[in-house]
Amino acid sequence: MTAIAKRWTCVEAGCDYKLVAPDVVSAIEGAQRHIAEAHSSFELEEMIEDVLEDVPAPDRG
Amino acid sequence: MATTVRQPVDPNVVRKFHFTREMIEGPVYRKYEKAIRKGWSVEDLDFAQDAKDWNRIEDEQKRGLLGVTVRFLAGEQNVTDELIPMLAASHALNRFDWIVYLSTFLMEEAKHAEFFMRWHERVVGVLEPEEVAQHFLVRGKTIDPRGRFEVRDVLHEALPHYGRQLMEATMGGAEAEIERSFVAFSAAYNAFVEGVLTMPSYEIVIDTTEGWNAFPALRKGFRLILMDEGRHITFGTYACKLLIKKDPSYEDEVHRVFDAYRGNIVGLVEYQKAVPGLDLNKYQTMKVRHYRNRCREMGITPDETLIEQILDPSIDFVVGVEAG
Repeated sequence: MTAIAKRWTCVEAGCDYKLVAPDVVSAIEGAQRHIAEAHSSFELEEMIEDVLEDVPAPDRG
Repeated sequence: MATTVRQPVDPNVVRKFHFTREMIEGPVYRKYEKAIRKGWSVEDLDFAQDAKDWNRIEDEQKRGLLGVTVRFLAGEQNVTDELIPMLAASHALNRFDWIVYLSTFLMEEAKHAEFFMRWHERVVGVLEPEEVAQHFLVRGKTIDPRGRFEVRDVLHEALPHYGRQLMEATMGGAEAEIERSFVAFSAAYNAFVEGVLTMPSYEIVIDTTEGWNAFPALRKGFRLILMDEGRHITFGTYACKLLIKKDPSYEDEVHRVFDAYRGNIVGLVEYQKAVPGLDLNKYQTMKVRHYRNRCREMGITPDETLIEQILDPSIDFVVGVEAG
Protein backbone atom coordinates (compact mmCIF):
# COMPACT_ATOMS: atom_id res chain seq x y z
CA MET A 1 0.00 0.00 0.00
CA THR A 2 1.35 3.43 -1.01
CA ALA A 3 1.88 5.85 1.87
CA ILE A 4 0.00 9.14 1.49
CA ALA A 5 1.43 12.60 2.17
CA LYS A 6 -0.20 16.05 2.13
CA ARG A 7 0.69 18.70 -0.44
CA TRP A 8 -0.02 22.43 -0.10
CA THR A 9 0.53 25.00 -2.83
CA CYS A 10 0.93 28.72 -2.14
CA VAL A 11 -1.31 30.91 -4.32
CA GLU A 12 0.19 34.29 -3.44
CA ALA A 13 0.67 36.32 -6.63
CA GLY A 14 4.04 35.45 -8.16
CA CYS A 15 4.75 32.55 -5.79
CA ASP A 16 4.84 28.89 -6.82
CA TYR A 17 5.99 27.40 -3.51
CA LYS A 18 4.80 23.87 -2.80
CA LEU A 19 5.33 21.72 0.26
CA VAL A 20 4.78 18.05 0.91
CA ALA A 21 4.34 17.01 4.54
CA PRO A 22 3.70 13.64 6.15
CA ASP A 23 0.48 14.76 7.86
CA VAL A 24 -2.06 17.57 8.20
CA VAL A 25 -0.50 19.13 11.30
CA SER A 26 2.96 19.49 9.78
CA ALA A 27 1.48 20.70 6.47
CA ILE A 28 -0.33 23.49 8.35
CA GLU A 29 2.80 24.41 10.30
CA GLY A 30 4.91 24.49 7.13
CA ALA A 31 2.37 26.55 5.19
CA GLN A 32 1.98 29.08 8.00
CA ARG A 33 5.77 29.38 8.29
CA HIS A 34 6.06 30.00 4.55
CA ILE A 35 3.33 32.69 4.52
CA ALA A 36 4.94 34.46 7.50
CA GLU A 37 8.51 34.32 6.20
CA ALA A 38 7.96 34.82 2.47
CA HIS A 39 4.92 37.12 2.50
CA SER A 40 4.92 38.74 6.00
CA SER A 41 1.34 37.60 6.38
CA PHE A 42 -0.63 34.76 7.92
CA GLU A 43 -2.92 31.99 6.76
CA LEU A 44 -5.62 30.43 8.95
CA GLU A 45 -5.37 26.70 9.58
CA GLU A 46 -8.79 25.86 8.09
CA MET A 47 -7.80 27.60 4.87
CA ILE A 48 -4.76 25.38 4.60
CA GLU A 49 -6.40 22.17 5.76
CA ASP A 50 -9.32 22.47 3.34
CA VAL A 51 -7.11 22.62 0.25
CA LEU A 52 -4.51 19.97 1.10
CA GLU A 53 -4.09 17.38 -1.62
CA ASP A 54 -3.29 13.72 -1.08
CA VAL A 55 -0.09 12.70 -2.87
CA PRO A 56 2.16 9.63 -2.63
CA ALA A 57 4.65 10.06 0.19
CA PRO A 58 8.22 10.70 -1.00
CA ASP A 59 10.41 7.59 -1.08
CA ARG A 60 12.64 7.77 1.99
CA GLY A 61 14.84 4.92 0.83
CA MET B 1 -24.55 -1.60 24.75
CA ALA B 2 -28.04 -1.59 23.27
CA THR B 3 -29.71 -4.80 22.24
CA THR B 4 -28.37 -6.24 19.00
CA VAL B 5 -31.79 -7.39 17.77
CA ARG B 6 -33.23 -4.74 15.49
CA GLN B 7 -36.99 -4.47 15.34
CA PRO B 8 -38.68 -2.81 12.36
CA VAL B 9 -39.36 0.81 13.25
CA ASP B 10 -41.82 3.37 12.01
CA PRO B 11 -40.04 5.63 9.43
CA ASN B 12 -41.91 8.59 10.88
CA VAL B 13 -40.18 7.95 14.19
CA VAL B 14 -36.80 7.45 12.48
CA ARG B 15 -37.19 10.87 10.86
CA LYS B 16 -37.18 12.47 14.30
CA PHE B 17 -33.44 11.72 14.59
CA HIS B 18 -30.73 13.36 12.49
CA PHE B 19 -27.31 12.34 13.75
CA THR B 20 -25.48 9.72 11.71
CA ARG B 21 -22.00 8.29 12.02
CA GLU B 22 -21.11 9.74 8.63
CA MET B 23 -22.26 13.20 9.75
CA ILE B 24 -20.30 13.32 12.98
CA GLU B 25 -17.15 12.27 11.15
CA GLY B 26 -17.72 14.89 8.43
CA PRO B 27 -15.93 18.23 8.01
CA VAL B 28 -18.87 20.46 9.00
CA TYR B 29 -19.58 18.65 12.26
CA ARG B 30 -15.84 18.81 13.05
CA LYS B 31 -16.02 22.59 12.65
CA TYR B 32 -18.85 22.61 15.20
CA GLU B 33 -16.75 20.57 17.64
CA LYS B 34 -13.79 22.87 17.14
CA ALA B 35 -15.95 25.97 17.69
CA ILE B 36 -17.13 24.52 21.01
CA ARG B 37 -13.56 23.59 21.99
CA LYS B 38 -12.08 26.98 21.07
CA GLY B 39 -14.74 29.14 22.71
CA TRP B 40 -13.59 32.45 24.22
CA SER B 41 -15.24 35.29 26.11
CA VAL B 42 -15.04 39.06 25.60
CA GLU B 43 -15.17 39.45 29.38
CA ASP B 44 -11.79 37.71 29.68
CA LEU B 45 -10.09 40.55 27.76
CA ASP B 46 -8.54 43.42 29.71
CA PHE B 47 -9.08 46.79 28.00
CA ALA B 48 -7.11 48.88 30.55
CA GLN B 49 -3.90 49.23 28.48
CA ASP B 50 -5.91 50.05 25.35
CA ALA B 51 -7.66 52.89 27.23
CA LYS B 52 -4.25 54.28 28.28
CA ASP B 53 -2.96 53.98 24.69
CA TRP B 54 -6.03 55.76 23.37
CA ASN B 55 -5.29 58.75 25.60
CA ARG B 56 -1.69 59.06 24.41
CA ILE B 57 -1.99 58.72 20.60
CA GLU B 58 -2.36 61.66 18.20
CA ASP B 59 -5.73 62.77 16.83
CA GLU B 60 -4.75 61.66 13.31
CA GLN B 61 -3.99 58.17 14.62
CA LYS B 62 -7.32 58.12 16.45
CA ARG B 63 -9.18 59.04 13.26
CA GLY B 64 -7.32 56.37 11.26
CA LEU B 65 -7.94 53.63 13.82
CA LEU B 66 -11.59 54.54 14.45
CA GLY B 67 -12.20 54.45 10.71
CA VAL B 68 -11.43 50.74 10.84
CA THR B 69 -12.90 49.75 14.19
CA VAL B 70 -16.23 51.54 13.72
CA ARG B 71 -16.65 49.86 10.34
CA PHE B 72 -16.04 46.48 12.04
CA LEU B 73 -18.55 47.44 14.78
CA ALA B 74 -21.22 48.04 12.13
CA GLY B 75 -20.13 45.07 10.01
CA GLU B 76 -20.23 42.50 12.81
CA GLN B 77 -23.71 43.64 13.85
CA ASN B 78 -24.82 43.36 10.24
CA VAL B 79 -23.45 39.85 9.65
CA THR B 80 -25.11 38.71 12.91
CA ASP B 81 -28.37 40.16 11.66
CA GLU B 82 -28.14 38.67 8.16
CA LEU B 83 -27.31 35.01 8.88
CA ILE B 84 -30.86 33.73 9.37
CA PRO B 85 -31.50 32.95 5.65
CA MET B 86 -28.61 30.48 5.72
CA LEU B 87 -30.09 28.68 8.72
CA ALA B 88 -33.54 28.58 7.15
CA ALA B 89 -32.13 27.24 3.87
CA SER B 90 -30.05 24.59 5.66
CA HIS B 91 -33.25 23.41 7.36
CA ALA B 92 -35.06 23.28 4.02
CA LEU B 93 -32.17 21.28 2.50
CA ASN B 94 -32.28 18.80 5.44
CA ARG B 95 -28.69 19.60 6.37
CA PHE B 96 -28.78 19.09 10.15
CA ASP B 97 -24.98 19.20 10.34
CA TRP B 98 -25.01 22.66 8.73
CA ILE B 99 -27.62 23.86 11.26
CA VAL B 100 -25.63 22.49 14.19
CA TYR B 101 -22.50 24.27 12.94
CA LEU B 102 -24.39 27.49 12.10
CA SER B 103 -25.58 27.68 15.72
CA THR B 104 -21.96 28.37 16.70
CA PHE B 105 -21.44 30.64 13.68
CA LEU B 106 -24.33 32.91 14.74
CA MET B 107 -23.21 32.98 18.37
CA GLU B 108 -19.66 33.89 17.28
CA GLU B 109 -20.85 36.74 15.07
CA ALA B 110 -22.85 38.12 18.00
CA LYS B 111 -19.74 37.80 20.17
CA HIS B 112 -17.62 39.66 17.61
CA ALA B 113 -20.18 42.48 17.63
CA GLU B 114 -20.04 42.42 21.44
CA PHE B 115 -16.24 42.67 21.33
CA PHE B 116 -16.32 45.83 19.20
CA MET B 117 -19.15 47.30 21.28
CA ARG B 118 -17.14 46.75 24.50
CA TRP B 119 -13.89 48.04 22.97
CA HIS B 120 -15.54 51.30 21.84
CA GLU B 121 -17.36 51.68 25.15
CA ARG B 122 -14.39 51.02 27.43
CA VAL B 123 -11.54 52.45 25.33
CA VAL B 124 -13.04 55.30 23.30
CA GLY B 125 -16.10 56.01 25.48
CA VAL B 126 -18.69 55.72 22.71
CA LEU B 127 -21.53 53.20 22.36
CA GLU B 128 -24.85 54.77 21.33
CA PRO B 129 -25.57 54.63 17.57
CA GLU B 130 -25.42 58.44 17.27
CA GLU B 131 -21.98 58.48 18.93
CA VAL B 132 -20.31 55.81 16.82
CA ALA B 133 -21.98 56.85 13.56
CA GLN B 134 -19.98 60.09 13.59
CA HIS B 135 -16.83 58.07 12.91
CA PHE B 136 -18.25 55.80 10.18
CA LEU B 137 -16.46 56.26 6.87
CA VAL B 138 -19.12 56.39 4.20
CA ARG B 139 -18.14 54.53 1.06
CA GLY B 140 -19.18 55.60 -2.40
CA LYS B 141 -18.06 59.18 -1.89
CA THR B 142 -14.94 58.43 -3.86
CA ILE B 143 -15.22 56.47 -7.06
CA ASP B 144 -12.70 55.34 -9.59
CA PRO B 145 -11.74 58.65 -11.24
CA ARG B 146 -11.59 56.93 -14.63
CA GLY B 147 -15.13 55.62 -14.20
CA ARG B 148 -14.22 51.99 -14.80
CA PHE B 149 -15.52 50.63 -11.51
CA GLU B 150 -18.55 51.24 -9.37
CA VAL B 151 -18.10 51.08 -5.63
CA ARG B 152 -21.08 49.72 -3.69
CA ASP B 153 -21.79 48.94 -0.04
CA VAL B 154 -21.45 45.19 -0.17
CA LEU B 155 -22.11 44.59 3.53
CA HIS B 156 -25.25 46.66 3.85
CA GLU B 157 -26.54 46.17 0.31
CA ALA B 158 -25.43 42.78 -1.02
CA LEU B 159 -26.04 40.69 2.10
CA PRO B 160 -29.66 41.85 2.59
CA HIS B 161 -30.25 41.44 -1.17
CA TYR B 162 -28.91 37.89 -1.45
CA GLY B 163 -30.43 37.04 1.96
CA ARG B 164 -33.89 38.10 0.80
CA GLN B 165 -33.42 36.07 -2.39
CA LEU B 166 -32.45 33.01 -0.33
CA MET B 167 -35.41 33.42 2.05
CA GLU B 168 -37.80 33.67 -0.90
CA ALA B 169 -36.32 30.54 -2.47
CA THR B 170 -36.56 28.73 0.88
CA MET B 171 -40.20 29.69 1.30
CA GLY B 172 -40.86 28.63 -2.30
CA GLY B 173 -39.51 25.18 -1.54
CA ALA B 174 -37.91 24.27 -4.90
CA GLU B 175 -34.66 22.50 -3.97
CA ALA B 176 -32.60 23.64 -6.97
CA GLU B 177 -33.63 27.27 -6.41
CA ILE B 178 -32.70 27.06 -2.73
CA GLU B 179 -29.31 25.58 -3.64
CA ARG B 180 -28.62 28.21 -6.31
CA SER B 181 -29.60 31.03 -3.94
CA PHE B 182 -27.55 29.45 -1.14
CA VAL B 183 -24.45 29.55 -3.36
CA ALA B 184 -25.07 33.22 -4.24
CA PHE B 185 -25.62 34.17 -0.58
CA SER B 186 -22.60 32.22 0.63
CA ALA B 187 -20.45 33.64 -2.17
CA ALA B 188 -21.38 37.15 -1.00
CA TYR B 189 -21.20 36.50 2.75
CA ASN B 190 -18.47 33.90 3.26
CA ALA B 191 -16.32 34.17 0.15
CA PHE B 192 -16.52 37.85 -0.80
CA VAL B 193 -17.06 39.77 2.47
CA GLU B 194 -15.48 37.48 5.05
CA GLY B 195 -13.07 35.65 2.78
CA VAL B 196 -11.53 38.34 0.59
CA LEU B 197 -12.63 41.89 1.33
CA THR B 198 -12.18 41.83 5.11
CA MET B 199 -9.01 39.76 5.37
CA PRO B 200 -6.59 42.64 4.62
CA SER B 201 -8.45 44.78 7.18
CA TYR B 202 -7.62 42.30 9.95
CA GLU B 203 -3.97 42.41 9.00
CA ILE B 204 -4.03 46.21 8.77
CA VAL B 205 -5.23 46.45 12.37
CA ILE B 206 -2.75 43.84 13.59
CA ASP B 207 0.14 45.46 11.65
CA THR B 208 -0.87 48.95 12.85
CA THR B 209 -1.16 48.07 16.52
CA GLU B 210 2.13 46.15 16.37
CA GLY B 211 3.78 49.12 14.64
CA TRP B 212 2.48 51.49 17.33
CA ASN B 213 3.22 48.98 20.10
CA ALA B 214 -0.24 49.71 21.43
CA PHE B 215 -3.77 48.32 21.88
CA PRO B 216 -2.97 44.75 22.98
CA ALA B 217 -6.63 43.89 23.68
CA LEU B 218 -7.71 45.08 20.24
CA ARG B 219 -5.00 42.97 18.62
CA LYS B 220 -5.87 39.93 20.73
CA GLY B 221 -9.55 40.35 19.91
CA PHE B 222 -8.77 40.50 16.20
CA ARG B 223 -6.71 37.31 16.42
CA LEU B 224 -9.50 35.50 18.28
CA ILE B 225 -12.09 36.70 15.79
CA LEU B 226 -9.89 35.54 12.91
CA MET B 227 -9.78 32.00 14.32
CA ASP B 228 -13.60 31.94 14.23
CA GLU B 229 -13.69 33.49 10.76
CA GLY B 230 -11.49 30.72 9.38
CA ARG B 231 -14.28 28.25 10.22
CA HIS B 232 -17.05 30.53 8.92
CA ILE B 233 -15.35 31.11 5.57
CA THR B 234 -14.44 27.50 4.98
CA PHE B 235 -17.91 26.32 6.02
CA GLY B 236 -19.40 28.54 3.32
CA THR B 237 -16.90 27.58 0.65
CA TYR B 238 -17.25 23.87 1.52
CA ALA B 239 -21.06 24.10 1.25
CA CYS B 240 -20.67 25.86 -2.11
CA LYS B 241 -18.26 23.15 -3.28
CA LEU B 242 -20.80 20.42 -2.46
CA LEU B 243 -23.61 22.24 -4.22
CA ILE B 244 -21.50 23.17 -7.27
CA LYS B 245 -20.38 19.56 -7.55
CA LYS B 246 -24.06 18.57 -7.65
CA ASP B 247 -24.87 21.21 -10.32
CA PRO B 248 -21.83 22.89 -11.96
CA SER B 249 -24.03 25.72 -13.29
CA TYR B 250 -24.10 27.12 -9.72
CA GLU B 251 -20.50 28.28 -10.27
CA ASP B 252 -21.91 31.15 -12.35
CA GLU B 253 -23.57 32.52 -9.20
CA VAL B 254 -20.20 32.95 -7.52
CA HIS B 255 -18.74 34.84 -10.47
CA ARG B 256 -21.88 36.98 -10.75
CA VAL B 257 -21.53 38.09 -7.12
CA PHE B 258 -17.83 38.92 -7.45
CA ASP B 259 -18.50 40.75 -10.70
CA ALA B 260 -21.31 42.85 -9.21
CA TYR B 261 -19.01 44.12 -6.47
CA ARG B 262 -15.75 44.08 -8.44
CA GLY B 263 -14.93 47.73 -7.68
CA ASN B 264 -14.83 47.08 -3.93
CA ILE B 265 -12.13 44.44 -4.33
CA VAL B 266 -10.12 46.14 -7.04
CA GLY B 267 -9.88 49.47 -5.15
CA LEU B 268 -7.96 50.11 -1.98
CA VAL B 269 -9.91 50.51 1.24
CA GLU B 270 -9.86 53.82 3.03
CA TYR B 271 -7.84 52.71 6.05
CA GLN B 272 -4.98 51.59 3.85
CA LYS B 273 -4.33 55.26 3.26
CA ALA B 274 -5.67 56.53 6.61
CA VAL B 275 -2.94 54.75 8.59
CA PRO B 276 0.48 56.11 7.61
CA GLY B 277 3.39 53.75 6.99
CA LEU B 278 1.53 50.66 5.76
CA ASP B 279 2.80 48.64 2.80
CA LEU B 280 -0.21 49.12 0.48
CA ASN B 281 1.02 46.62 -2.08
CA LYS B 282 1.00 43.86 0.55
CA TYR B 283 -2.76 44.15 1.04
CA GLN B 284 -3.58 44.11 -2.67
CA THR B 285 -1.38 41.05 -3.23
CA MET B 286 -3.03 39.41 -0.23
CA LYS B 287 -6.50 39.93 -1.71
CA VAL B 288 -5.40 37.89 -4.73
CA ARG B 289 -4.20 35.07 -2.47
CA HIS B 290 -7.47 35.02 -0.58
CA TYR B 291 -9.53 35.18 -3.79
CA ARG B 292 -7.58 32.28 -5.30
CA ASN B 293 -7.92 30.35 -2.06
CA ARG B 294 -11.69 30.82 -1.90
CA CYS B 295 -11.99 29.63 -5.52
CA ARG B 296 -9.78 26.65 -4.74
CA GLU B 297 -11.91 25.76 -1.69
CA MET B 298 -15.09 25.99 -3.80
CA GLY B 299 -13.51 23.98 -6.62
CA ILE B 300 -14.08 26.72 -9.21
CA THR B 301 -11.90 28.58 -11.71
CA PRO B 302 -10.75 32.07 -10.64
CA ASP B 303 -11.58 35.05 -12.86
CA GLU B 304 -8.13 36.04 -14.16
CA THR B 305 -9.28 39.52 -15.23
CA LEU B 306 -10.25 40.26 -11.62
CA ILE B 307 -6.80 39.16 -10.47
CA GLU B 308 -5.10 41.35 -13.09
CA GLN B 309 -7.19 44.34 -12.03
CA ILE B 310 -6.43 43.88 -8.32
CA LEU B 311 -2.71 43.78 -9.12
CA ASP B 312 -2.77 46.60 -11.71
CA PRO B 313 -0.84 49.50 -10.12
CA SER B 314 -2.60 52.01 -12.35
CA ILE B 315 -5.90 51.17 -10.63
CA ASP B 316 -5.31 52.81 -7.27
CA PHE B 317 -8.53 54.62 -6.35
CA VAL B 318 -9.51 54.62 -2.69
CA VAL B 319 -12.90 53.40 -1.61
CA GLY B 320 -14.68 55.99 0.54
CA VAL B 321 -13.06 58.78 2.52
CA GLU B 322 -15.75 60.82 4.23
CA ALA B 323 -16.79 60.38 7.84
CA GLY B 324 -20.26 60.65 9.33
